[in-house]
Amino acid sequence: MTPLERAEARFGWKLVAPTIVILGLLILYPLMYNVYLSFFDVQLNGSKIFVGLENYIKLLSNTDYYSAIATTSLYLFGTVVGTTLLGLAMALLLRDPFMGRGLVNAAIMLPYVAPVISVVFGWQFLFDPISGVVNYLFVDLLGLWSERSNLIGDPDSALWVVVLFDIWKHAPIAYLLILSKLVSISRDQYEAAAIDGYGPIGRFFHVTLPELYFVLATVVLLRLIWNLNRFEDVYLLAPNVETLPIFTYYQAFTGVIDQGLAAATSVIQLGVLSIFIWFYIKKIMKW
Amino acid sequence: MLGKKTIKGRIGFALAIVLLVSFSLLPFAQILSTSLKHQYDWGNPSLIPQSINLDAYKELLGVTEPEQVEIPAAIQKILNNPKLSEDKKQAIAAKYTANDNLFPFGKYMLNSVIFSVGAASFSLVFSVMGAYSISRLRFKGQVVIQRSVLFVYMVGGVLLMVPLYQMAMNVGLASSLWGSAFCLFLIYIVQTLPVGMYMLGNYFRGIPFALEEAAMMDGCSRKEAIIKVVLPLSLPMLATVFIYCFIIGWNEYLFASVFLKQYPEFHTLPLALQELFVSKNAIWDRIMAASMLTLAPIVICFLFASRFMKGGKTDGGVKG
Repeated sequence: MTPLERAEARFGWKLVAPTIVILGLLILYPLMYNVYLSFFDVQLNGSKIFVGLENYIKLLSNTDYYSAIATTSLYLFGTVVGTTLLGLAMALLLRDPFMGRGLVNAAIMLPYVAPVISVVFGWQFLFDPISGVVNYLFVDLLGLWSERSNLIGDPDSALWVVVLFDIWKHAPIAYLLILSKLVSISRDQYEAAAIDGYGPIGRFFHVTLPELYFVLATVVLLRLIWNLNRFEDVYLLAPNVETLPIFTYYQAFTGVIDQGLAAATSVIQLGVLSIFIWFYIKKIMKW
Repeated sequence: MLGKKTIKGRIGFALAIVLLVSFSLLPFAQILSTSLKHQYDWGNPSLIPQSINLDAYKELLGVTEPEQVEIPAAIQKILNNPKLSEDKKQAIAAKYTANDNLFPFGKYMLNSVIFSVGAASFSLVFSVMGAYSISRLRFKGQVVIQRSVLFVYMVGGVLLMVPLYQMAMNVGLASSLWGSAFCLFLIYIVQTLPVGMYMLGNYFRGIPFALEEAAMMDGCSRKEAIIKVVLPLSLPMLATVFIYCFIIGWNEYLFASVFLKQYPEFHTLPLALQELFVSKNAIWDRIMAASMLTLAPIVICFLFASRFMKGGKTDGGVKG
C-alpha cells in the first residue's frame, strides 16, 4: 500500500464512519437485540423475564397468527400482481411522447408521493356507506348491489380495498422502473419481428415481454420486500385488516401488551424478508 | 403501441389516458371537494360543492376568533364567592372557558416541519459523506459497507419498533418528553440515511473523476475538490435527496405513534390527524381540510423536485 492509498483509505473510513455508527447502532444492533428479546417476557416499561422458547410456542399455537399470515399472503398476491400489471400497462400506454405527457406523468406520480395520512381520508370518504361515491355508483346508478354496504368496516372486503389502495399508490413506481427499460428496446427488433409477420400482439409477446422479463422480476421482488413490512397504508386505511405488521403492532402496543411475542413475530418475519432480499441481491444486483 | 394513426386508435388512447389520470386524481379531488362542502352537501356525489365553505380552513389556520364559551350560572356563582382565592378562581374559569374543540393545526405543522426538515438536513450531510466514500474512495471493507447499506435500506420499520422502543426504555429516553422527541429525530435520520446514500452514491459514480483530478492538480485538497467541484455539480441531486428525505419524515406515522402518542404537544401531523379522526371532533370537512393542508407542502416539493427527475431517472425508485 502506498502512502497515498493509505491516506485515501483513511479518508474513506472517516467519511463513512458516522453512517456506520448510526446504521449499526439503530438498525443492525436492534435487529440482533430483537432476537434476544424474543426469548423474554418483555413489559412495556422494559422489565424482562427469560422464558426460553415460550414466545415462539405461543405464537405458533395462536390461530390469529395463521390468519394474519393468510391475510398477508392475499395482500402480497393482490398488490404484487396488480401493481406489476398496472405499471406495465401504464408504461406501454405512455411510452411514446405525446402532447401533455409531462402533466400526465406528474398526475400519476402524485399518489406515490402524497402522505398516506391525507389520502386515506379521501379513500375512506369514497367508500363511506352514506356519502361515498362507490356505494352511490354501485347501488343507485348501476344497481349491482342491493343495498349500501360499509366496505371498509368489514375486514373481508376491506382487505381488497387496501389492496386497491396499494396498487393505486405504488403502480407509479413500477411504471417508472418498467418504462426505463421499455424505452431502451431498439426499434430494429420490432421491425425485424414485423418482417417476420408478427402483428402488434405477437410483437408484444415475442419482443417486449422477453426484454422486460428482468425488470418485471425486479418489480415483483421489490413489491414483495416493501409490502411484507407495509404498515401505515394498511393500518391507517383499515385497521381491521390484520396483516403481519399490524398483528405485531397490536401485540406490542395495544390491549394486552406482549412485546416478547411481538419480537418473536418480527424475528420470523425478518427471516422471510431476508430470503426475498437475498434473491434480490443474487439475481437482480448479481453480486 | 396502439395504432395511433387511425382515428379509432387515437380516441382509445385519449380515453385510456383520461381513465388513468382520473383514477390517480379522484381521491385528491374528493378530499378537496369535501373540504369545501357544507355538511348538507356531503351526500351529494358531485365533486363540485353547491356553495363554497371555507370555515374548516379558516378554523385550522386560526383565522376565525375562537368562540367565547359561556360560563354556566352555577359556576359563576362560585366564582363570585369572595372567600375563594384569585388563583383558584382563574383556574376554574379557565377550565370552563377552555375550547376543547380547537385543533391546533399550526402547532402540529410546526412539529412536523421541525422533525422532517431537521432529520433530512442531518441525513443529507451524512449521506453526502458516506456516499462519496463508498462510491469514490478505495479501501478495504467498502463493498461490505455498500451491501450492508442496501440491506438495512430494505428492513422495514415494523421489524425495528419493538427493539428500538425497548432500547429507548433501557437508556431512559422513552419516559421523558424530550427524550422521546430525540429518539424520533434519530429514527428519522436512520430511516432516510440509507435512501440518501443509495441515491447519491449512484449519482456520484456518474460524475467523471477527471473533474476532481483536475481540481486536485490545481492544488486543491481532496476535501476542497469535493466541496468546490463535486457538490456544485450535484446540486439538483442534493435537492432531490433532501426533498425525498423530507417527504419520508413528513409522511411517517408508525414511530411517531410509538414514541409521541402520549405527548400531544409534540404530535406530528400524521399522528394528530389520526387522533382527530378517531376523536369525537371528527367532522369530514375539518379532516379533509387538514388533509389538504398536510398534502400541500408535499405536492409543492414534488412539483419542484420532478423538474430534476426528468428522463425516466429511477435512482430513488427502489424505495416504496
